[in-house]
Amino acid sequence: MFWSKIWFFIIALAGAIALVIALVLPRPAQRVLVAEEQQRLAVACGVINILLTDDARRRVELTGSFARTQDVVGALEQASGADKLDEARMKGVRETAEKVMQGIQGRQPDFAMLIDKKGRVVARVKLDANEFGDVVAGRPLVDDALAGYMRDDLWEQNGTMYFVSAAPVVKRDAPVTYVGAVVLGHAVTNALAQKLVDGLDIDIGFFLGENDVAGSKTIAFQHKPMIDAFGKLTGGDLTRDCQANQPLQLQASSSNYTSIVARLPGEAATKQAFYAVYIKQPETVGFGATLGVVRQGDLSFANFPWLLVGGGFLLALALGIGLMFVETDRPLKKLTGDAVALGKGDKQRLAEDAHRGKYGSIARSVNIAIDKLGREAKSARKDMDQLLGPAPEGSLGTIDLLSSALPSVRPGGPSSGSAVPPSDFKFGDSGPVSAAPTPPFAALAPSKPAPVKPAAPPPPPVAATPPPKPARAPTPPPAPIAAPIAAPIAAPALSLDEDILGGLSGSVVTPIDPNAPTVAEVDPYFNQVFEQFVAVKQSCGEATSGLTYQKFADKLTKNRDDLMAKTGCKEVRFTVYVKDGKAALKATPVKDEA
Amino acid sequence: MRVLSAVLVFGLGVTAAHAGSLVGKLELPAPPDRPPVATRGFLDRVENPLTKINPVNVAPYLVVVAEAEAPAPESSIQVSWELVGDSFGKPLLAVPAGAEVVIKNVTKTARSLVAVEDPKLIPGGPINPGGPKSFRTKEAKAYTITASDAPHIKAKLLVVTTPYVANIDDNGKFEIPELPGGTYKLRIYYFNPLSSKDGWLDRPDDAVVIPAKGKGEVTAKIPTGYPLKK
Repeated sequence: MFWSKIWFFIIALAGAIALVIALVLPRPAQRVLVAEEQQRLAVACGVINILLTDDARRRVELTGSFARTQDVVGALEQASGADKLDEARMKGVRETAEKVMQGIQGRQPDFAMLIDKKGRVVARVKLDANEFGDVVAGRPLVDDALAGYMRDDLWEQNGTMYFVSAAPVVKRDAPVTYVGAVVLGHAVTNALAQKLVDGLDIDIGFFLGENDVAGSKTIAFQHKPMIDAFGKLTGGDLTRDCQANQPLQLQASSSNYTSIVARLPGEAATKQAFYAVYIKQPETVGFGATLGVVRQGDLSFANFPWLLVGGGFLLALALGIGLMFVETDRPLKKLTGDAVALGKGDKQRLAEDAHRGKYGSIARSVNIAIDKLGREAKSARKDMDQLLGPAPEGSLGTIDLLSSALPSVRPGGPSSGSAVPPSDFKFGDSGPVSAAPTPPFAALAPSKPAPVKPAAPPPPPVAATPPPKPARAPTPPPAPIAAPIAAPIAAPALSLDEDILGGLSGSVVTPIDPNAPTVAEVDPYFNQVFEQFVAVKQSCGEATSGLTYQKFADKLTKNRDDLMAKTGCKEVRFTVYVKDGKAALKATPVKDEA
Repeated sequence: MRVLSAVLVFGLGVTAAHAGSLVGKLELPAPPDRPPVATRGFLDRVENPLTKINPVNVAPYLVVVAEAEAPAPESSIQVSWELVGDSFGKPLLAVPAGAEVVIKNVTKTARSLVAVEDPKLIPGGPINPGGPKSFRTKEAKAYTITASDAPHIKAKLLVVTTPYVANIDDNGKFEIPELPGGTYKLRIYYFNPLSSKDGWLDRPDDAVVIPAKGKGEVTAKIPTGYPLKK
């Protein structure tokens, strides 16, 4: 059993390790997945910055083209020379600008602003189209454009973010002079956001502080984590924000997102303008979820080492079975064979040395039990001899133990069943006893040919019928004397063949005279047994003179009381039978009745 | 071309019969180079291919101040200052101490202005379109006026101890009228629009004698690079 236990321990340990691995392995995989997602997010963030830069370049080129339009140059040249701008001039310039805008291919600007060289707005298109005359010089973008630079910027106007670009308007005819500037603005919209992330498998949102500006998806995020992350961004190179910034964990409704925040440049930066790229966090992959995503191909022979797993399983199984056979099955089989031989009587005891370990202990325990039972059987016979006394020669019967073993009897009653050894066992030192309890009728068959007179054959076994109502209240109605003892006796009956009438030998049978005055009351059951005994005795040709009922009943009463005191039984049944050609009487303690 | 781009004359009980005027010209050196753009977009700015870049016009950022030997009494006059859009009409305004400054917002956008050096100088709250907001100057010092909702709006309010101040035109010329006769010290204040630094120019102060009647003339030379006194 030692190696079997070791093997069981190894198998259990291997199983536990496998379980731990199965439960733990998804976590590193999850971390790797999250890290990859974050890296992908950072890359996508950088791509967004590149796309926005490209977009700015196209917008600046578009603004330059707009500013080079001859009608625009002429209109602003005239406006720059005027001391005061009027509405008529504004409308004329606006109409000119609208025509130019209509000719723009692709994405249309959301506003245009035409500025004279003094920095005054001559006309606006689309946004605040009726406003004019205000000075926009002072805004860095406009100042640069009036100075001759082309550039882009980000403006916030009325809660909307605009990508703006400006270009100077130059009169190219001699003398070449600056006559104003043009500013075009493109609003940051949801459509623009969706276009930016098209194909990137991420989402983007544009924010001005805690205000949502636009996004590829309408998701209500917590702004505080993003604002905090925005506040931590330092340095003048905004293009490094995507790599320098740590990913954020954002929660929106019931979903969690990973996000990276990057600053937006330009004037809008003073109003905490930023954009955030985000992706939904991958589902936490546990053991169950890992199994759930296993594909059929994962279990193919090409992808899974079935031979290794199967071989390992068979090897473990074979080793386990082998160890069990060597350490358990084979010794058990050997012990079983030994026990069967013991039961058959081929052996008197189990061979203790032939069995090792626990099985040797079992054999030793069985041998000890055998020895104990033998000693108790001898003791029981001795007790009965002391109880009933030796059977005198020529008495009415002889004391005899039945062939069944006599288990130890406690005053409170024997333990049910367990005290009776299996029928296969033979007790070599317990004397000539039969294996099974001898039924009452079996005792009627003489062990050797009984000297029965042909003229008067022994009558068939007679059962003393218990009286319908027992004279003594506590005495239960006994079973028929000759009837087989059946189920009502729960505990193994203690059957005794005993010459309980030895003292009455030679007594004159004196029938009971119902009319004669008696000292003691006649027990109907004892009387019935008495009559049967006398009848059997006569049938065996024995003398019945001197056998009186009173002596007979006294003897039975004493015998019954002794047995009840000795065995703790509740009742004693008496059976008349023939033994060695003579009438004999057997007292059987009746234990519990069902 | 206008001779005077701006002239502020503040009544101090001086009558024209006892006053002259000061005319002069500042010899302006080459304007400073434009620094890198402060609010860069996604791209660096690029020069247009058609002509060279316009130089910075520093004239609006210079103020001439004539200080008498005896300090002038505190003024109680009113000076108007227009917010014309994303900038003030005069990016640098000099006023005598005690004068009331009335800022008029001629744009259609409300602005909340504040003096950086003294947040309580300008009463709180936005200046609605068309609406004025006035305050009185006390201490002689320079104040940076900006808008909290439009940081690019930036101007200088210079409070001095004399009422005789003047802005210059694009050619550097200026005139201070109604100047009582006497000797004055000419000082020039400069507000660099590119670096936002400001201060008195680091140069020898010119002594100017103004006759009781007539004009006094002066030509002042501005050092190269517009250096400021430390």
